[in-house]
Amino acid sequence: MGFHHLDQYADTESGLKPVAPAARVLGTLAIALGAASLPPGAWLEMLVPLLLVLGLSRVARVPLATLLRRASVPLGFLALASAGLLVLSPGNPVATIGPFTVTDGGVTLVGSALLRGGAAIGAGVLLVSTTRFPDLVEALRELRLPAVVTAALGLAYRFLYLLTDEMAQLHRAAASRNAGGGRVARRNLMLGITASALTRGFARSERVHRAMLARGYTGALPSLHPHPLDARSAGAVLALSLLLAAVVVAARLR
Amino acid sequence: MAHIPDGFLSPAVLAGTAAVSGGALWLAARRTRTSLAERQLPLIGAMTAFLFAAQLFNFPLTAGTSAHLLGGVLVAALAGPATAMLVVFSVVLVQALLFQDGGIAALGANTLNLAVLGAGGGWLVWRWLLALLGTGQRVRLVAAALAAFASAMLTGLGVALELSLSGAVPLRAGLLVVGGAHVFVGLGEAVLTGGILALAWRARPELLSALPTAGPSARRWTLAATAAAAGVAVLATLFASSSPDVLQSAAVRFGLRDSSLGSAPFAGYASPLLEPWLVALAGVAVVFLIGYLLLRAVARR
Repeated sequence: MGFHHLDQYADTESGLKPVAPAARVLGTLAIALGAASLPPGAWLEMLVPLLLVLGLSRVARVPLATLLRRASVPLGFLALASAGLLVLSPGNPVATIGPFTVTDGGVTLVGSALLRGGAAIGAGVLLVSTTRFPDLVEALRELRLPAVVTAALGLAYRFLYLLTDEMAQLHRAAASRNAGGGRVARRNLMLGITASALTRGFARSERVHRAMLARGYTGALPSLHPHPLDARSAGAVLALSLLLAAVVVAARLR
Repeated sequence: MAHIPDGFLSPAVLAGTAAVSGGALWLAARRTRTSLAERQLPLIGAMTAFLFAAQLFNFPLTAGTSAHLLGGVLVAALAGPATAMLVVFSVVLVQALLFQDGGIAALGANTLNLAVLGAGGGWLVWRWLLALLGTGQRVRLVAAALAAFASAMLTGLGVALELSLSGAVPLRAGLLVVGGAHVFVGLGEAVLTGGILALAWRARPELLSALPTAGPSARRWTLAATAAAAGVAVLATLFASSSPDVLQSAAVRFGLRDSSLGSAPFAGYASPLLEPWLVALAGVAVVFLIGYLLLRAVARR
């Protein structure tokens, strides 16, 4: 198992490639925060972050079909999670489905959640499609996230493939001997697999640490592709943030 | 819905939760900088990867439901609360950035619910239970399972409050739906945390984090003080007078009654769901936690 397919557009020559990873992270955050700051029901303004994501995906040469396919799972979860708001949110009744009454407030909230959340999800998909994970970690370090977090993320990324593979192997081995039939047996089996993965993960981390020390590890994890935040990238993020701020102010004043 | 997606929370709630989470993570990072040995860094990486991988697998529960591990108390029991908060935050961050599981703008809220309340709050409950029950290995496992249940409930409470403060759902409906769902999540979390810790400790006993053991007198005092505080709180609400107190009377006399600075969330010990004596008990728990944290901070100096 691997997650390399996620950043398959990282090497594509595009207008987004010269932008520093830290600026991409900040831009993604700006789109997500800008969309989240729009008041419910500001339909026209909600199209702006969505159009920005679509425009940026064109600049980054990420096909629309790929963007939609990758966004479909989180979007489906978003739709599922927000469905309850149709009947839970206060407002005037607009429809009745069985014992539940759909309110106009609920419809506005769900529509707004889908559009605002959709823009944030699209921006996130675009970020991981065009940026390698080690570069993302380096960008987070540049943005002053605690060193222990960035170091843990960098190491976790390395362990993740191994650990998920190991858990899948244990799962396959159990399935091949028909272990875990019935609810209780299955629960015990899953517990055993998870606990085994935990202890194996610890053992592996100790081995990896010894290997890292042997190769000159001093506590810092240097990047192979340093791409620090430059003035041009910072300017692009600033322009994006100002545009979104103007849209939010316009929506709030309307 | 432990991971809140983007689109639900208001800007004020996003900013407030981000500020609280940022402060808590800053404190945790400062704590780990002084207490964490350099050789433990790969261990934290392994724990982050483990928690992420473990959350990919769903476990069958009862009534046709399934749950995945939240893991706050599990990691806190193995590595301490500060490290656990940073590990859970790292997992939440990766899930939001890589898989859009949980919002990017809502990162502060999800960090507060899962890392600060889930891992930090759950660890406090664990320590409280250990102070009451003792620190034998079996007691630790049972206390960890109970604390894991409490941590899931704290997470659910956080989600419900944030959604309610954002105007997405009324507080009562939020507590019933989200809090009710987290009862099942909590049961799963308790079984998983207790089970995984039992198996892991059997395989690697040294994984048990070095906990300062509470002496018998400290335990007796904790038990007595907790029981006394809870008893006083319950009795006080049962026999409380509905007349205004001295300050309220003075405020009315000086014409200040309508110039209050704001309304408290549980004014008059009233709650949309709970009886006043239950609100009082919850208040005792909150005060206990605040006092515990303050005393720990003072004792360390």
